Amino acid sequence: MTEIRICHLYPKEMNIYGDRGNIAVLQKRLEWRGYSSTLTSISIGDEFTPTSFDLCYLGGGQDRDQMIVAYDLQEKSAALHSAAKDGMVFLWVCGGIQLAGVGYTDSEGRRIPGVGILDLDTSAGKSRLIGDLVLNAELNGDICKVVGYENHAGRTFLGSDATPLGAVLKGHGNNGEDKTEGAVQRRVIGTYMHGPILPKNPWLADKLLSWAIEHKTGKAPTLTPLDNSIENLAQQVAITRAGMKR
Amino acid sequence: MSHIALSLAKAAGWFSRALGRGGGTTLPGMILLKLRPHTLHEMAQEFEEIIVISATNGKTTTARMVSHATHESGIPFVANTSGANLPSGIATALLQRKPDEKYGIFEVDEAALPEVIPQLEPTVLVLMNLFRDQLDRYGELETTIQKWKEMIESLPETTKLIINADDPALAYLGSLHQNVQFFGLELTDYGSETISHAADSLHCQKCDSPLNFQQVTIGHLGHWECQNCGFHRPHPSFTGDKINLKGLDGSEFIAASKTDSLEIRLPLAGIHNVYNALAAYSTCSTIGISATKTQRGLWTVSAAFGRNEIINFDGVELMIMLAKNPAGANQNLKTLLLEEENIHLAILLNDRTADGKDVSWIWDVDYEMIIDRIASLTISGDRAYDLALRFHYAGFPATSMHVAPSIQELLNHLKSSINIGGRAIVLPTYTSMLDLRSGLNKIGATHSFWEEK
Repeated sequence: MTEIRICHLYPKEMNIYGDRGNIAVLQKRLEWRGYSSTLTSISIGDEFTPTSFDLCYLGGGQDRDQMIVAYDLQEKSAALHSAAKDGMVFLWVCGGIQLAGVGYTDSEGRRIPGVGILDLDTSAGKSRLIGDLVLNAELNGDICKVVGYENHAGRTFLGSDATPLGAVLKGHGNNGEDKTEGAVQRRVIGTYMHGPILPKNPWLADKLLSWAIEHKTGKAPTLTPLDNSIENLAQQVAITRAGMKR
Repeated sequence: MSHIALSLAKAAGWFSRALGRGGGTTLPGMILLKLRPHTLHEMAQEFEEIIVISATNGKTTTARMVSHATHESGIPFVANTSGANLPSGIATALLQRKPDEKYGIFEVDEAALPEVIPQLEPTVLVLMNLFRDQLDRYGELETTIQKWKEMIESLPETTKLIINADDPALAYLGSLHQNVQFFGLELTDYGSETISHAADSLHCQKCDSPLNFQQVTIGHLGHWECQNCGFHRPHPSFTGDKINLKGLDGSEFIAASKTDSLEIRLPLAGIHNVYNALAAYSTCSTIGISATKTQRGLWTVSAAFGRNEIINFDGVELMIMLAKNPAGANQNLKTLLLEEENIHLAILLNDRTADGKDVSWIWDVDYEMIIDRIASLTISGDRAYDLALRFHYAGFPATSMHVAPSIQELLNHLKSSINIGGRAIVLPTYTSMLDLRSGLNKIGATHSFWEEK
């Protein structure tokens, strides 16, 4: 049985938007298809070994906790770069997308360093961007609607090495200006979408799982289709609540 | 006070009730505040004692407990009993004050508190807990803590502060005020050594180091200390000890102060209600209500609407337990685990303004603990399918859940799946609780919330 190794970074500090729902979806959708998985929590002061995992998750936290985490991530920066280069899958959400970029300038002008596995930069805006978020997401040429919720003060702008995860149909996205949301570079995905993002977007969950299985086995898998009827109903309701006709 | 402003505002309340819109618990106050912005401050001058109670969870029930004990003492008082806890709701309650009512007992929304306190200038301020709640509306917990800190720093020394020692962030706020007394629970068999997944306030407010917990009761409440800077749980003046939780039937404990020690029997379930009762006891003791009156007040307290409230309909008993954030929902689930029989469970999730539009919090609730104890599961509300997904990924078979698209269908389904004399537990968010009560009211099973006494 192929075993997929998942790493959850800072689950104690970075968990405010139901982040563990994303982990549950990844593990269950593997289990339902006959794969096994391991889940390892990596916290402040722990070592991150780039060859030990296939998928790395980081969620959203309060400003105070995000600051503590930002400095600890600097210690892991080289290992994270090496993992990203090697094709490990990253899903870094909300505070995560900011930490994956080159840095964050807060409302008082202080600079908080990022890891730099995504070519993007963030600075604090005056207001928080809050509300439903609907995208046309694109990965490997496949396009799919993705729905979630955003709540962030950061305004993120992408550099030339990163491509947006999708085009904003409803909501603010990266910065409220250029209609982009999220970032993709290699298999590193950053996004402001919580909700959490994966339960209502099985298409995205399965993309990540295909990549993670390929990272482990060296071969792109053909995933067994699952019954997504509840997922699709929940997504439809969320899209309607966002004020969009489907 | 302008008579015209008062009359207009009162007339609005009458109209609002006549039209059946929200019961007129906020509209008169809203109009009055528009006409006279300093009305809270003006009206507060008429009082001898103003008690303000705030928290993420338990403020409605605690205010109700204090009101009951005050009533037992024969002291006339005014209170915002309908749970309308924004400035408009408080102004509405003040409008209805009779001249002999010299005591005011108000529960206040945690975000509105810093605005309300300088106006009401309470004699007693009770702060019970802060948990993560409706992040789209309240923002981060740290933001609320920061605003409360500024509020406490400008509090006159005459205001008696009563604070939960078991909440590390609140204990820190208490340390900033001279006139403060703490309450807290002694070590109990119902505590745990592990911190739940969605716990907040785990870092020391003084030095940012991780806190050490000897015991956790709810979320991040418990016996804590910082091993780095030595900041620790303050010694409480009011303690709750020898807790005995009797499932859904109620709870007992010993409440003690320097001078009293009394047995409290509560008709309300769960350790969260022990906290509420201890906060109420601390308050009553502070304003000079006798131990026996407090004891009687707490024993006769009935549940506030939607908070462990029991409603009978067509031979089936519904117990409604408001569940609007992870800490509260987890606490309700833990209370259900004390029951011997498996549970007919209904959960209602709405995403309107008063619920929070962001439903991600359901993934922070530990529904997993109850899954093996479910006799039937019915799901309803605007975001029912989000709940269905939550249970699906918790390993509960999708084929065993029933999704009810309306309150009427929910009630029909519960009636058909539960025997006469049986009981269902309903966990609704705030507006879905109002929807449910309105559905039950239509068929004559309960009263309207503005008729709440």
